[in-house]
Amino acid sequence: MRALKLASFAAAALCTVSLSACGGGAAPAAAPVPAAAPMAAPSMAPSGSAVAAGGEFGAGCAAVPTDASNPGSFAAMAKVPVATAASGNPALSTLVTAVRKANLVDSLNSAKGITVFAPANTAFEKIPSATLSGVLTDNDQLTKVLTYHVVAGRLSPDQLAGTHKTLEGQDLTVAGSGTAFTVNGSSSVVCGNVQTENATVYIVDTVLMPNG
Amino acid sequence: MNRSGLPALAGLLAVVSGAAVAELVAALLGRPQAGTVVAVGAVLVDAAPTPVKELAVATLGTADKPVLLGGIAVVLAVLAAGLGVVAFRDRVAGLAGVAVLGLVGVAAAVTRPAAELVDALPSLVGALAIAGALLVLLRRLPAAAIERKRLWVHSTHRKPLSVHVDRASAAAAEGSGDRRTGHPGPDDLAAPPDEAAGGAVDRRAFLGAAALVAAGAAATGGVAALLGRSATSTRVRESVRLPAPTEPAPPLPAGVEPGFVTANPDFYRVDTALIVPRVDLDSWRLTIDGMVGSPAELSFAELLDRPLVERVVTLNCVSNEVGGPYIGTARWLGVPLAPLLREAGVRPGADQLLARSVDGMTIGTPMAAVFDGREPLLCVGMNGEPLPPEHGFPVRMLTPGLYGYVGACKWLGELKATTFADVDAYWVERGWAPQGTVKTASRIDTPAPFASLTPGPVPIAGVAWAQGRGIRAVELRVDDGAWQQATLLPVPSVDTWVQWRYPWPATPGSHTLSVRATDGTGAVQPEQRVDPFPDGATGWHTITVSVG
Repeated sequence: MRALKLASFAAAALCTVSLSACGGGAAPAAAPVPAAAPMAAPSMAPSGSAVAAGGEFGAGCAAVPTDASNPGSFAAMAKVPVATAASGNPALSTLVTAVRKANLVDSLNSAKGITVFAPANTAFEKIPSATLSGVLTDNDQLTKVLTYHVVAGRLSPDQLAGTHKTLEGQDLTVAGSGTAFTVNGSSSVVCGNVQTENATVYIVDTVLMPNG
Repeated sequence: MNRSGLPALAGLLAVVSGAAVAELVAALLGRPQAGTVVAVGAVLVDAAPTPVKELAVATLGTADKPVLLGGIAVVLAVLAAGLGVVAFRDRVAGLAGVAVLGLVGVAAAVTRPAAELVDALPSLVGALAIAGALLVLLRRLPAAAIERKRLWVHSTHRKPLSVHVDRASAAAAEGSGDRRTGHPGPDDLAAPPDEAAGGAVDRRAFLGAAALVAAGAAATGGVAALLGRSATSTRVRESVRLPAPTEPAPPLPAGVEPGFVTANPDFYRVDTALIVPRVDLDSWRLTIDGMVGSPAELSFAELLDRPLVERVVTLNCVSNEVGGPYIGTARWLGVPLAPLLREAGVRPGADQLLARSVDGMTIGTPMAAVFDGREPLLCVGMNGEPLPPEHGFPVRMLTPGLYGYVGACKWLGELKATTFADVDAYWVERGWAPQGTVKTASRIDTPAPFASLTPGPVPIAGVAWAQGRGIRAVELRVDDGAWQQATLLPVPSVDTWVQWRYPWPATPGSHTLSVRATDGTGAVQPEQRVDPFPDGATGWHTITVSVG
């Protein structure tokens, strides 16, 4: 029975696909760009619930656009380097602004294999606005904070728990397992294991602060 | 195995064998691009809407292609399992499903550019194979007897033997619960004593048939792969002996450092070919037609008979981001294009040279760029060997100073003189600019972003490029300091990148390094950040390192 459900689901996905191919691109919503990296299957399955081959997890992932033609979708993000990927995702716009301000776009894009703990906009909203604008105007401080969110190497979910040295120099600690992780005790991973061309991203709900 | 399991397996095996048969037919036809899975994948790539191209083109690299084919395989597998289940319940519906699968494959294959009618054949034969395998397997499926059993209960026309087997297998599939509880169902009253054994025999018959189909599919797929491989360009390519250039490239100037020429395996690849086109050299022809006085057709040998020149030229992709990797320099061996077109006699008004690859890709080059003295080539060699298959064997175009998407068609088959008003080439159709002159750019290669350095002298190094105009200066800035002149290493011509070096006395702390270049006309590389879409990125490459 389950096979039948899956099949009709996939059939529905495939039908939309072939329609768009024959319909001269009139239906971009169905365009799969399945050249998408590690998630060809979900990019073809609009609701993404039946086939979770992409490996993203967490409640926050529900906010990510499923339409592969949207630059903020998992499929689109997997094909571009991390700073470019983040700039396609409206939920990360504050982070993107901060990264641009700190001149870290190229560094993040051309780094080879990193893990980024990406604070969502809601994470920045938790910071008192005076503090936030202070950090945003002090490039050294901003660089310190942002590089504290980056770890060399791509951490898969099963490598995530533990202590990791950040590019800022200080360590951060991840606790948890399965699909529930907390960074430095208070910042929860709301959408994890998001793949970009050169980085694995864990979206967190609280900005991480290095000491000093 | 539950009730859906065996039908699902039957569906899966049937579709796998059908796909294998389709690949075999495609291989036998010598048209691997007409294989069902590949054709459907190619359609999907092209169907992607323009906004995505900005993202997609940058990464239509090699890794994406196996992933796409894998994705199609996964969806197909799920569909196949479903098909088995449906067909098990209703043969007609199942066969209709097979027909739909086949038609999707046919539609994909025959709508590809450069498709021929025979390209429908693999999917058609494949669909027939699926239908055949499905019917054969389902007939042997024990549970399939359920319906027949019911028929038998109400009818006496069936032959005893088949009744016996069908009944028994139905009981095996359905009646185990009854047996377990020790309460035989009403039908069991009439069951022959060896019904359990009969069911086992029937299931065994199914599994035997399934194994046979699986082995057949594997053998067919293997033969298809063998046929495909033995005929790939690699093999043909090995037999090619390129003549020596009539005008060899002079040795690189003294002082050029390692990395100036990019090794073939390291050369970037951005294209839309799901499978590398395979070209039969004997039948390959370069056609020159369109708005020309005397259309021409050249064989590979005829092309090689023309004067061959060797040039060191840098080629880059329009979709490269600031600091990105889609650029390389090679020693190209090729036939100068301009004399060839002069012989054909390009008519006035033809402002576009439309190159078409053997797999239907089109790339439109401004005719002006062909004749302005920059020396576009029809390349047959790359770094001392025949073009690697993934770089366009047997012949690719190369237009110095233009991004690849408007000047460097791979697997070339046709050159048509036409106008920009009449024809949009592939990428132009998708919103990219018709004119793609390379923008001045520069890149820091070492140190790497986020590198941890020790205080003291740190060599900063990279490349800068503005093919056709050349690079006059490269400057480096540390944090908010003044721009410092970097040292430029020698270059063979304005058509290559230049290597630059800057010795930096690194001090402790976090530092931001930026680079900018000035081209041969004196224009400084723009600071403004522009995305690759639609005509190339701009911006100063800027990285952060920590010292201490």
